[in-house]
Amino acid sequence: MANPLRAEVIRLYKNLLYLGREYPKGGDYFRDRLRAAFTKNKSEQDPQKIKEMIARGEFVSRELEALYYLRKYRAMKKRYYEE
Amino acid sequence: MASRALLQCVRSLARPSLRLSSFTLAVRPAVAPAAVIHRPLSFAVDSRRTRRIGQSPIPVVGVLCRQYGDLPPLTLDTIKDRVMYVLKLYDKINPDKLGVSSHFMKDLGLDSLDQVEIIMAMEDEFGFEIPDAEAEKLMTPEEIVQYIADKKDVYE
Repeated sequence: MANPLRAEVIRLYKNLLYLGREYPKGGDYFRDRLRAAFTKNKSEQDPQKIKEMIARGEFVSRELEALYYLRKYRAMKKRYYEE
Repeated sequence: MASRALLQCVRSLARPSLRLSSFTLAVRPAVAPAAVIHRPLSFAVDSRRTRRIGQSPIPVVGVLCRQYGDLPPLTLDTIKDRVMYVLKLYDKINPDKLGVSSHFMKDLGLDSLDQVEIIMAMEDEFGFEIPDAEAEKLMTPEEIVQYIADKKDVYE
């Protein structure tokens, strides 16, 4: 319970949940997947492995941001150019 | 600027009926000092414009206190109602079991991820951010109500 990484994991979860609201398939879809991913590893105790997973979560959040930027860029391009 | 607008109104009043011209001549010198007396006269001519122009230099106290889109002021009861409403809509909580002092984990069988989602729903509902360090201490509806009341300066 008093794992020092706990706050970090919760912060990551919250952050991903915020990002997931804009997900193309819907926020609910993303939330279910996110929860499944977090609960799958809930009994992990090794700090090293938890850190790796947090790093992976950060990577996913960066990917999501990139996805949104790309989507925005495509929408803008579509509006300004014929192609 | 106000006197010019009033003059304009007086002229537009005089234009349709020549009979009034002597009256307007009599009024014109009195326009600048006694603008307030003149207002009802111009009101009938071009109410929208004169009202807008006439109001800016003379603040009308009490009448213009508009609330815009603001919500009614928060009280402990309204906060509690809104918190319970949000919690009832959360799909993993059984509304029958939910009480003001029920613990999210012990009584309602939620985990810490659910608790994070509840706090996010509260942030959306009340429009401010709850820091993680304080969010993890909020485990019952009444603690949430108390926390929000503290943050929004609501007391008994």
